[in-house]
Amino acid sequence: MISAYYFGAISLVLIGLYAVLVKKNLLKILVGLSIMETGVNLLLISIGYVSGRSAPILSEGIGPNQAVDPIPQALVLTAIVIGVATTAMALSAAILIYEKYGTLNVEEIRRLRG
Amino acid sequence: MNELLIIIFAPLIAGVLAWWLDVRGIREILGVAGPAVSLSYLVKLYTTIDSGGFVNYTVNLGGFSFNFALTQLSWIFGMIAGVIGLAAALGMASTSKSGYEWLFALMSLTGVLGVFLSYDLLAFFIFWEIMTFGSFMMVLRYNRSASLKYFVLSVIGAYAMLLAIGLIYARVGSFSFVDVYRAFAQDAALGVAGGSTVFSTFDMAAIFGLLLVAFGVKAGLFPLHVWAPDAYSETNQSYTAMFSGVLSKAGVYGFIILYMLMGYRLVSALGTFRGVPSFGYLIAFLGGLTIIVGGLLAALQEDIRKLFAYSSISQVGYVLVAVGVGSALSMEAGVYHAISHALFKGLFFLVVAAIVHRTGKTEFKDMGGLAEKMPVTFAMAFVAILSLAGIPPMVGFASKWLIFEAVISQNLPILGGMVFFGSAIGFVYLIRFTYAVWFGQRPTDLEDTRDAPLPLAIGMGILALLNVVFGIAPGLVAGELNKIIGKEVIGGTIWELDIGVGRYNGLLLTVWLIVGLLIAAIIYFLGAKARRVPVTDTYQSGNPVTMEYNLTIRRDFFRPLREALSFWLGISFDDLYRDVAKATEEFADILRRYVYNGNAQSYAWYLGIILLILAIWGV
Repeated sequence: MISAYYFGAISLVLIGLYAVLVKKNLLKILVGLSIMETGVNLLLISIGYVSGRSAPILSEGIGPNQAVDPIPQALVLTAIVIGVATTAMALSAAILIYEKYGTLNVEEIRRLRG
Repeated sequence: MNELLIIIFAPLIAGVLAWWLDVRGIREILGVAGPAVSLSYLVKLYTTIDSGGFVNYTVNLGGFSFNFALTQLSWIFGMIAGVIGLAAALGMASTSKSGYEWLFALMSLTGVLGVFLSYDLLAFFIFWEIMTFGSFMMVLRYNRSASLKYFVLSVIGAYAMLLAIGLIYARVGSFSFVDVYRAFAQDAALGVAGGSTVFSTFDMAAIFGLLLVAFGVKAGLFPLHVWAPDAYSETNQSYTAMFSGVLSKAGVYGFIILYMLMGYRLVSALGTFRGVPSFGYLIAFLGGLTIIVGGLLAALQEDIRKLFAYSSISQVGYVLVAVGVGSALSMEAGVYHAISHALFKGLFFLVVAAIVHRTGKTEFKDMGGLAEKMPVTFAMAFVAILSLAGIPPMVGFASKWLIFEAVISQNLPILGGMVFFGSAIGFVYLIRFTYAVWFGQRPTDLEDTRDAPLPLAIGMGILALLNVVFGIAPGLVAGELNKIIGKEVIGGTIWELDIGVGRYNGLLLTVWLIVGLLIAAIIYFLGAKARRVPVTDTYQSGNPVTMEYNLTIRRDFFRPLREALSFWLGISFDDLYRDVAKATEEFADILRRYVYNGNAQSYAWYLGIILLILAIWGV
C-alpha cells in the first residue's frame, strides 16, 4: 500500500504535467508548472519523514535521533525559492509575449518556428 | 633530424616557407627544392635498401609512438612520389600563381610520402588525411562544387578507414604494422587449424569492406570514382600531374598493404574464387569495371582535362586488377604499372598544363595544329601517347604486357577481356587527342602560341626520359620489384623481361624499331612522291554530314558511340549520389516540419516520453 503522501505528491506532479502538455493557454501552462513544482516539493518532504518524530530543531528533549531527516527540508527551501523565481520570470515573459503577439495561445506564438 | 623525417617533411617545410615569403622567384625555387630534397634523400638511401636493409624510425608524441620505415616497397612508391613530385613542382613553377598553391600542393606531397613511409596504422591515417586536406584545398581554389564532391567522398573514405583501424586496434591492441601482421598471421593459422579465432569471419568481412571503401575512394575505384574527373580537371594542371600520378597511388599502396597485413586471414575467412582470393577478385573485378567505365567516358569527353581525368581513372583500374589477382607476378605487374602510370599520366597532365597555360583553352573544338607551334610539348605528348597506348619501347608496354600475362596465366577470362577492352578504348581516346590538338587546321587565334616555358619543359623532359629509359631497359624496374617479393619472379637482364611463358626484350625491339624507321626514311627520301593531303573531315560513320550531325575530330567525334551507349550513360552514379543527397535534405525538411516544429509544448511531450521510456527501462 503506497503512502498517501507519495500518492498525493505524484498525483500533483502528473496533474501539473497534464496541464503543461495539453493546455493551450500560456498562463494555464504556468499554473501547471507551479502545481508540478508543489508536487515535487511535497514528494521531497515526504521522503524525509520518519513516522513519530518531530521537527529537526535541536532543543531540549529533542536530539538528533528524535528528529525527521533535515536534508530534504533544506533542499525544499531552496527549491521553493527557485520555483518562485522561475515562475516570476516566466510570468514576466508571458506579459512580454502578450504585448508582442496579442495572444497567449501557444500554438499561435510563432517566434520559435524555423 | 632523421632521414625519414626529412624525406617526409621537406616538401611541407618548403611549402610553408614559400607561402610565408611569397616572393615570385624565391617561392618557386623553394617549392622545387622541397621535392628535390626528398628525392635526393631517397636516392641516397638506395644503397641501404638495396643490400636488404631496412631504415626505421619511431617518434614518440603525446603517448603515441609513430613508426616510420623504409622498406623495398615503400622505397619504390616513395620514388614515384619524389620523381613525379619534382616534375610537377617544376611544372608548377611555370603555372602556379600564388604561395597558396605551393603550400597545399607540397602539403599533399608530404602527406603522400608519409603514407608510403609510415609503418603503423595511426601514422598512416594521419598522413592520409594531410594528403586529402592538401589536395582538397588545391581543388577548392579553382572550383567549389568539385572540391565539395571530393571532400564528401574523401570523408566517407576516411571514416571507413578509421572504423576499420578501430576494429583492428580493439582486437590487436597495437597500431604497428608488425604487430598487426603478426596478429593476423597467427589468427589465420588458428583459423586453418580449426581453433577459435580472434577475428570472426564477420569481422574480417567488415574490415575488408571498410578498407575497400577507404582505399577505393582514393584510387578512384568504380563506383567511387565520381569525384576524380571533376577534381582532376578543376585545379592547376601541373598539380594534377601529382594528384593523378601520385595521390591515386596511395589507394593502390593501401590495397597492397591490405594484402600484406591480412591477406592470409582474409583468404581463410572469405575463401577463394577461381583460384584467386575472393576478396582480391572483388578488387580486381571492380578495377576491371573502372577500366571500362573510365575508358568509355574518356572517349566521350569534349574537354582535354576531363579526357585525361577519366583516362587516369581507367589506367588505375589496371593496377587494381593486377593487385587484386594477387599472385607474385601480378603484384609486381601492378606495382610496375603504378610506376608507369605515374610516369605517363604525370607527363600527360604536364602537357595539358602547357597547352592550357599557353592557349588558355581546354576544349577540342578550339584546338588544332599545335604541333608546329609547340614542338617540344608535342614531342613529350607523343612519348606519353605511345606509353599510355602501350606501344613499345615505352614503359607502358612493359607494364601492360606483364598485367596481361599475369591475368591470363591465372585463367581469368572476364578480367582478361576487361583489360584488353581497356587497351582498345585507350587508342580510341588517344587518337582523338593526337589529331584534334596537334594536327589539322589551326584556329587563327592560336597563331602566336609559344612553346612550353622552360621549367615546365624540364619537368616534362624528366618524365619523358624515364618513360623511354624504363621502356628500353624494363629490367631496371623489374630488378627492384623482385626484391619486394624476395625472389626472382621476373627474370632476364636489364634489357629483357623473362617470365617463363614469354619474354620481352626492350633493347632489341628498339633496335628493330629504329632500323624500320631508317628504312622508311630512306624510302621517303629516295623519292616517295609527297602529296599534300587536303584537310577534310572523313569521319562520318555512314551518316550524311549536316550541320546537326557534323562529326569532326574536334567536335562530337564519338557521338555515334554516345548514342549507342545512351542507355548506359543514363545510369549515372553522379546522379545517384545527388539523389541520395536530395533525399537526405528532404528527410531533414520533414523532420523540421513535424518534429522540430517550434512548439514548446511538443518539446515538453518529447521530454516526457523520453523520461517515461527511461523509467520503464529502469535507468
